Amino acid sequence: MSTLKVNAINAATSGQAVAVDISNPRSFRNLIINGSYQINQRGNLTGIGGDSVYTLDRWLFGRENGSNSTRWSISQTTLAKTDLPYTAGHRNCMKLDCTTSSSNSGSNDTSYITQRIEGFNCSHLDWGNSGAKTLTLSFYAKTDGSTGVMCLSAFASKHYIKEVTLSNSWQKFTVEIDGNTADEIPHSNAQGLQLMFVLHSGSDHEASAGSWEAGFKASTSNQVNFGSSTSNNIYIAGVQLEVGSYATDFEHRTYGDELARCQRYYQAQTDYHHICVNNGESDRWIRFMKPMRAAPTVTTSPTNSVSFAAQNQQKEGFAGNGSGGGSANFNLEWTASAEL
Amino acid sequence: MPYTTYKQYKLRDGTLVTDSIKVPKTSDHHDIYIPFVADNTDYQEYLKWVAEGNTADAAD
Repeated sequence: MSTLKVNAINAATSGQAVAVDISNPRSFRNLIINGSYQINQRGNLTGIGGDSVYTLDRWLFGRENGSNSTRWSISQTTLAKTDLPYTAGHRNCMKLDCTTSSSNSGSNDTSYITQRIEGFNCSHLDWGNSGAKTLTLSFYAKTDGSTGVMCLSAFASKHYIKEVTLSNSWQKFTVEIDGNTADEIPHSNAQGLQLMFVLHSGSDHEASAGSWEAGFKASTSNQVNFGSSTSNNIYIAGVQLEVGSYATDFEHRTYGDELARCQRYYQAQTDYHHICVNNGESDRWIRFMKPMRAAPTVTTSPTNSVSFAAQNQQKEGFAGNGSGGGSANFNLEWTASAEL
Repeated sequence: MPYTTYKQYKLRDGTLVTDSIKVPKTSDHHDIYIPFVADNTDYQEYLKWVAEGNTADAAD
């Protein structure tokens, strides 16, 4: 066995020092699930804005208070070969298309795209202690319309805001988030850390950037109202949140691995599940493809005028009881949501 | 599926702890069944809705 001993490792072209962090593992480092927007089990959505709604897997359109009439279409969009994220191996992005604009943002009104990260996945951040680890967020973004400041807000008991400036061209942004030494993240299946991309924000939710602030604080006063014009389309791609002060290359996971991670929070049986009725009896135990974060909310959509009620939901599956369809066999579509 | 509070809840059969709260089908969604489970976020929203003084419709 030989030992390599060097004082520095520099990039071949720039000559800059290359960070080599042996203690920070390269695998499983991205805290974000579906950061490459490959998975879209719910399909593209339109008319979003009245309520908080889950969109592409793990990504929630969030809404706080207010009565803003802005509406959005949110879709999984294919990147062109000439797009900057494409050159980094990404093929999809999230597109937010403002379909109904409103220039009036109430003082307590805020909307954002967010991912809520489970507490079990945050324990290694060691937040709430003096050794709380710094995080680095990297992502690509651009806008077709209004340019200017979009704020990012991390939330774990308190909010921490950073600004980036969107232009009409794809840019890669890197943002550092100080570790939160004051507030511990519970080691549980509840929400641990939340990352928000702010679309517009009222003055009640403004704070300074770069420090942990109590209360719901989404943006600085520089935040652009991206819902002010239907010409505004915002694109986000390649989101990675990792421990340390250095943005590594995006961790490309397999499609199957990413889908399995998403299914802890949402699953859908979109090909019909055939239910045979025997002597008028159609009770079934339907097992999920993967155990979920918590006993989920279930939707059922049976054919043949049957009502198929879900009950006794568990992390592993649910019991169903059909009625009203007589003796005819029927098909069933279902979804299960255990989102944060 | 909406994350926030639904406009109408209905007890499917409120006597069983393993039962679900039903959100009847509308033009926006199919029948929805929310379990009585503390770490289900829809159930948490339902509890907030009840705490605001609302009451679910009785079971059929």
